Amino acid sequence: MQRIVIPGEKISDTSVRMHNTLIHNGKTYSTIVGLYNDEKSTLIPLEGLWNPAYGDTVVGVIEEDRLNTYNVNLNSPYKGLLISKFVQEQLNKGDVVEASVKELDKTQTVVLMRPRKLSGGKIFSITPSKVPRVLGKGNNMLKELSTSTKSSIIVGHNGVVWIKGGNMQLAMDAILRIQEEAHTSGLTDRIKEMLSKGN
Amino acid sequence: MSGGGEKPELIINGKRLDGRGATDLRSLKIEPNVIKNAAGSAYVEWGNNKIIAAVHGPKEALPKHTSDPEKAVIKCRYMMAPFSSLEGHGRTGPNRRSIEISKVTKEVFENVVMLELFPGTEIDIYVEVLQGDGGTRAAGITAAAVAMALSGIPMTDVPYAVSAGKIGETVVLDLNMIEDNYSDADMPVAVKPLTNEVLLLQMDGSLTKEQFKEGMEMILEAGKKIHEIQDAAIKRPYQEIIERYER
Repeated sequence: MQRIVIPGEKISDTSVRMHNTLIHNGKTYSTIVGLYNDEKSTLIPLEGLWNPAYGDTVVGVIEEDRLNTYNVNLNSPYKGLLISKFVQEQLNKGDVVEASVKELDKTQTVVLMRPRKLSGGKIFSITPSKVPRVLGKGNNMLKELSTSTKSSIIVGHNGVVWIKGGNMQLAMDAILRIQEEAHTSGLTDRIKEMLSKGN
Repeated sequence: MSGGGEKPELIINGKRLDGRGATDLRSLKIEPNVIKNAAGSAYVEWGNNKIIAAVHGPKEALPKHTSDPEKAVIKCRYMMAPFSSLEGHGRTGPNRRSIEISKVTKEVFENVVMLELFPGTEIDIYVEVLQGDGGTRAAGITAAAVAMALSGIPMTDVPYAVSAGKIGETVVLDLNMIEDNYSDADMPVAVKPLTNEVLLLQMDGSLTKEQFKEGMEMILEAGKKIHEIQDAAIKRPYQEIIERYER
């Protein structure tokens, strides 16, 4: 049975080690607004920020072209950094790039690798904690979205989404709907229905 | 602002001016997510108080020298709108009073937000009083706590705040503006409901030891009710969407 918990709400009478929880007097309490599942004992954040991890795909905008590096805006508290040496094509301020996370250094800078320039298209942002739901199990939701709208879609773990071509409006509406209804069950079926109706 | 001249009768036949008993709260209503551009926000109507609280961040701390490489810093701005109150209370611009309340609000949240998760960043809290009627700092903290939870920033608890005071020799809860101005003591307190730790304790006037204890008990009792309303407000946006599909 799933239930919504708020910071400071007890989720278990025993001490369970989990992300986004704290243990006080041998009992476990949530530290976030999330969805707690008793049976699987999982706590999924409903709102939240992106925690950079090695290999995460991100979408960002080039903010500054420095001598040896590019500063990338990742729409998060972390600054993105691209080292020019590893960039094959010429990048300019305002260009949208897709890259993956190489490391997070001590100054809260995310060092990026394997950049790819994304030309054209549109970007918009969603809550980073809803990204896994937009991707779906084994990227199934994303595949469904791109095949039925014929758009190319890239979802960054930092919550920035890039779309180009096809039925962009429908794809965007669907992604925003997934964001809003991420914590409900039977979402995949509803999105499939929405996509088939929209076409 | 102080009660100059003759003191009016504030308790008549055991009832206060607005018909409440000594331990009654004013009506409290919290509306979540009212500001689209904020990470989290809440609007609170507490009696005649109308307050908007919004939380932004975490983002890069600017100016740079304010940042802390080991944890996030909290910046708070409490401000009363120029039309929020009678007389000079709600003057625009930062003044002695608003700087003080910004500081105490900031310190409440420094003790509940898990700052060590976001080193080098800042979290902004804005508390805007649209209409003030006594107890705005308590209402502001209560609203900002809801906004903070909705922003997704991990925190150990959702704090609440409420004031107790003394009219004549009677200890009363949740003073409004008139009672505050003519009362003999006013004591706003912010509490972490899980452990009942006190995060803010200020006092104007004087209370005896027994009166202080009585006031604290009233606050902790009323706090259960306030926390329940906060809890419902935080869950409401998600609950509504669930109910749309699951009946």
